[in-house]
Amino acid sequence: MSLLDAHLMREIANTPRGRGVLACIQCGRCTSSCLVARVVEEHNPRKLMEMIILGLRSDVLLGRLPWHCLSCFTCLDRCPQGGDVGEAMFAIRNLAVREGNIPDGIVGQARSLFETGRVVTPSRMALVNREKYGLGKEAVVDVKAVQKILRKTSFDKLIYRGS
Amino acid sequence: MKYAFFLGCLIPAREPNYENSVRKIAPELGIELVEMKGANCCAPFGIQSVDYTSWLALAARNLCIAEQMGLDILTLCNDCYESLLMTNTILKEEKENRDRVNEILADVGLEFKGKTDVKIFSDVLYEDVGLEKLKNAVKEPFNGLRVAVQPGCHLTRPKRIHFGEQMGVTALDELVEAVGARSIAYERKEACCGGPLRGINDEVALHVAKQKLDGVRAAGADCVVSVCPFCYFELDMGQLEIKRHLKEEYNLPVLHLAELLRMAMGMRLEEWEVRAHRIPITEILKVKEAK
Repeated sequence: MSLLDAHLMREIANTPRGRGVLACIQCGRCTSSCLVARVVEEHNPRKLMEMIILGLRSDVLLGRLPWHCLSCFTCLDRCPQGGDVGEAMFAIRNLAVREGNIPDGIVGQARSLFETGRVVTPSRMALVNREKYGLGKEAVVDVKAVQKILRKTSFDKLIYRGS
Repeated sequence: MKYAFFLGCLIPAREPNYENSVRKIAPELGIELVEMKGANCCAPFGIQSVDYTSWLALAARNLCIAEQMGLDILTLCNDCYESLLMTNTILKEEKENRDRVNEILADVGLEFKGKTDVKIFSDVLYEDVGLEKLKNAVKEPFNGLRVAVQPGCHLTRPKRIHFGEQMGVTALDELVEAVGARSIAYERKEACCGGPLRGINDEVALHVAKQKLDGVRAAGADCVVSVCPFCYFELDMGQLEIKRHLKEEYNLPVLHLAELLRMAMGMRLEEWEVRAHRIPITEILKVKEAK
């Protein structure tokens, strides 16, 4: 039911981490070395590359396919073409986010980063314990600088959409 | 040996036992840790998934802080290592990205000059401290403790940013053996722990962790030793969740490399640090006391 998009491969290849899709020869070494592919049937990096080559835009960018990858970079190191499949996953996810396809867990990390400068923040208990254990106060992040950077890159617009 | 100390988010928030052991052994090994004022999150996997330029700019801000201190960065986390090392490599090599990032950083009064290097704790131990010095600091060696080393992904991958070297895993083996333990071979030693998918797809994360733990158990390890706070969390806490959801029980103690070294150097873990481990490490402590 998907409409084919002849420009999808070029669009991904033209993003900073997406060049690798041009090198894919469909050998499948990425899939055979993928830990997630053993567990999740729909996660198949070779097939995802094929879908990009064919231009199945909505299948690639609008579903869960970009979000199963661990970014362990095993496929990246094993690709005989230097095709950087693991890198291309970042390019695909960056485009998926622009289509509004972003898991809650990632939104949570991104908002925490924007608001506190950290993706993981300590509980009140953890802060009390730090001092009790003699580790001193937790270091202060320059949140203003972080927000200045992230406003300039329009990161905030991507993660506060629709809220 | 003086470093800009990049602690990251996860360790101070959730794993103060890791931080404490590093702070305790560093001075004994001649490592001076200098705090990085105002440093932000490294911008790991999840943030890189949202936006490329935001990642580079945030990671570069940390690199600039270290440059101003005139020091190389020491990180304790594979994810921080990947983010900072990869950004450092990209910005040193690619003028277009460097110019774009510097235009953003100008707003916060910084400029990336490419004058710092990024190192992870195990590399500092192996390359800068050296095995001889470490061996000399050992007072209570672990005689033959069977250790399954968990290197984690970004200690050695991708090859491109590690300059084609695959030294990281060998270095870990040698560090563990320098304190009298045995680094054993096991299936999927270099595989991921599953941690990156935590909070995004917990079930898959647990299945991946289980693959790893199966290999560790089959090889007959006494414990896992990790260098990454995400691997530690996934393999320690993860065992409780695997027991609950996947009905498999391992009872494999998981230690931070820094804790193993600290004990071997004759320093006891505090009671709160022992309790921080979800899988009890009492058997390991007994091994120590038996000598």
